[in-house]
Amino acid sequence: MASQLNTESVGPIEGLRVIEVGDLAEVAGKLLADAGADVIRVEPRQGARSRHIGPYVNDRPDTNHSLRFASANTSKRSVTLDFEREESVSIWSALVARTEVVLDGTGSSTLDDAGIGADHFRTLQPGLIWCSITPFGLNGPWQDWASSDLVQLALGGPMMSTGYDDHSLPPIRSDGEHSIAMSNEYALTALLAALWLRDDNYDDGDHPIGQLIDVSIHEAVSATTEGSFPNWEFLGQRVIRQTGRHAAAERNSPWQYKCTDGDYILLMGGGIPRDAKIFEGLLRWMDEYDLAGDLHDPKYLEVLYTDPNRDVEIRNHVADTIGSFVQSLTAEEVYRRGQALHLPWGIVRRPEQNLDDPHWEDRDFFWRGELPGHEESVRYPGAPYRFSNSPVRMRRRPPLLGEHNHEVYIDELGMAIADLRQYSETEVI
Amino acid sequence: MGILEETDRSGDARPLPLAGLRVCDFTWIVAGPQATRILADLGADVVKVENESYIDSMRLGLQRPDEPMSLNGSGFHSNFNRNKRGITANLHHPSGREVVERLVTQSDVVIENFSAGAFERMGFGWERLQELNPQAIYVSLSGFGQVGRDRLNITWGPTAAAVSGATQMSGLPDEDPAGWGYSYLDHTAGYYGAVAVLMALLHRRRTGEAQHIDIAQIETGMVLTAVPVLDYQVNGRKYQRIGNRSEYPSIAPHNTYRCAGDDFEDDRWIAIVVETEEQWGALCDVLGSPDMASDKRFNSNDARKRNEDELDTAITVLTRSQSARDLMHALQARRVPAGLCQRTDDKMEIDEQLSARGFYPSAPHDELGEHRYEGYPVQFSDARWRMVRGAPLLGGDTVEVLTELLGYSEEEVSQMMAELAI
Repeated sequence: MASQLNTESVGPIEGLRVIEVGDLAEVAGKLLADAGADVIRVEPRQGARSRHIGPYVNDRPDTNHSLRFASANTSKRSVTLDFEREESVSIWSALVARTEVVLDGTGSSTLDDAGIGADHFRTLQPGLIWCSITPFGLNGPWQDWASSDLVQLALGGPMMSTGYDDHSLPPIRSDGEHSIAMSNEYALTALLAALWLRDDNYDDGDHPIGQLIDVSIHEAVSATTEGSFPNWEFLGQRVIRQTGRHAAAERNSPWQYKCTDGDYILLMGGGIPRDAKIFEGLLRWMDEYDLAGDLHDPKYLEVLYTDPNRDVEIRNHVADTIGSFVQSLTAEEVYRRGQALHLPWGIVRRPEQNLDDPHWEDRDFFWRGELPGHEESVRYPGAPYRFSNSPVRMRRRPPLLGEHNHEVYIDELGMAIADLRQYSETEVI
Repeated sequence: MGILEETDRSGDARPLPLAGLRVCDFTWIVAGPQATRILADLGADVVKVENESYIDSMRLGLQRPDEPMSLNGSGFHSNFNRNKRGITANLHHPSGREVVERLVTQSDVVIENFSAGAFERMGFGWERLQELNPQAIYVSLSGFGQVGRDRLNITWGPTAAAVSGATQMSGLPDEDPAGWGYSYLDHTAGYYGAVAVLMALLHRRRTGEAQHIDIAQIETGMVLTAVPVLDYQVNGRKYQRIGNRSEYPSIAPHNTYRCAGDDFEDDRWIAIVVETEEQWGALCDVLGSPDMASDKRFNSNDARKRNEDELDTAITVLTRSQSARDLMHALQARRVPAGLCQRTDDKMEIDEQLSARGFYPSAPHDELGEHRYEGYPVQFSDARWRMVRGAPLLGGDTVEVLTELLGYSEEEVSQMMAELAI
């Protein structure tokens, strides 16, 4: 049995102090915050970029009602600070002084250029971990190039592996800011590894080892393309994109079919079962609908379960026959009965359809919580991992813009109330 | 000093952040090996355990067609298992089991990505691992996770992408879902696997407590679908594909445009994004089309969004005969976000940025020879990652690990080999 979840105790990195700034580190900040870190997001007075990107609650634009912002900012606190203003320097310095980690998602060397970046603080605070996430890295000929998620998924390679059999249709960028996800996931591995190193090791001056971590989004995306890399480096082959299945050096049979209910089903590898016993079970199922065609011919068993590289045409015929069969059923039936036969087939769901799947309820995957601007609570997709003894969970709903100015600046940094009022009136905070 | 330290020719004195940590690695295919690859790149001693009846089937993936099939002949496998050590141990033999048990007692982390429950049936459930080593963190990585009614479902990367919603969120609105052209969620599950291991290690350092981590690959895809999941709940909107355009934010042009082909295929495309009027002016300039700049259909973002089909057609007319790479450089010189849809050969042979940052370091492999590998996408100021050696040969480090780490004599190792225990 899997171990029971202990929901009483603290998160795995409870209390880690993190300052997040800029727009390229949202996902890393959220993952840290949900795991127990105290993540303070420092936003410009007009709010982080994602606050200005929809969709919004009730489709009415509002700085505090962006679903995009909500999706990547659970468990964080928010303060505001205008870096254009000279007065911001001392406030920023006080924020950094109390932190262990700076998540720098400004995407550039802006802070360093102003003398308030990694170079400055790393000499003042040995042991400080400064994690910079930029489009192309902090050096190199493309360092200052303009970027976006679409541009990153183009340059890094995912798009040329993704699309349709018909190459008059373009390579496809999958929706969901995946270049941010990939780079932020890698950034976390580096940041947590740097914390591990810091805690047990000291430099020549007997200080804990701090770190400047330079994460390149272009490299993170470039490392996330699976088969196209070994195809080129080891075999000198380029892969071509295909509809709903892996890009490959040679075309193969479809893996994805539209079923009678309009939903799609994914048949891993074209649907051919991995052993003869499962194949026989599949044939019995096909017989119920009289759709097994000529697949009972023993020659198929021999071809399928001897050498996978033999007789590609025969394999394609089997795959196509299975494909015709599944198109005559509903996707749900193909999914459930296929899985009952141990076939690695999956229904192609729209994301919201998972809200109704009781398996995720069994796992408490969705987190119920408040959403600013919406009266009822909503379910947020939860954590990508379940820890048995240190639960990862939503600590607080996504913050309103500057919601924690008072709490952080006055209660924690000791700013005078009058000063906060003054900074607020003069639009520094 | 082990084989990886001996092989390391970087001459870099900065520390490997995870040096001194040991991982007992029962992973295979892609998702699990992706997780332990990150730990190995960062310096952990990852000892991968296989045996004749349980071989990482990726060892047979993408073999060289002109050479006989070899268990050590896959570059695909080598890329995901580089910097690890490899041993064989036969779990059906008592001595082979003891090898694994000794390895567990010496490990900080035990990780596997079998189907749910399989590792327990092999005799290594959480309780048993706790008996062997109360300090060992245990990570199980499977398709649907270790609990829940569908935990026994079978998945590969594409199955997980389909169920998670990731497949639907990719493609043109009027076409089938395009999905992902590779097992994206094998990467993603691996990344989260490495993150979870590191968080659990930090927790153990503070509290002295190890724990069991259950990762469901489909959930690692579902966390990337939060926007449409929320949108459905509050606005009742069902997800609809958008191709390469952008609805949130609502900007245009934001698409891929066909350019002149090259000697491989007539299949070259450039991604172009315009977020400001200044960038729009620069795009028209670079494309040499003052007409387009003054066209009323396109003279504001709202207008361009309204006439997006015509806009994309008009731009394609201008890009179709151009070199995508030259156009990218010209647009970037004017600060317009633009990027060629690169193939791997573009990234490895031409991309100036990846080259300048040394993203494809080269390393030896005992059978495949010297090859380049994908890097770890990070540079540290006061630490380093390594690319020392390709994947271990099957059982290639058994003698070293058993004699130097697990306390066996050479005679005992020979005896176990003769008995097929290892």
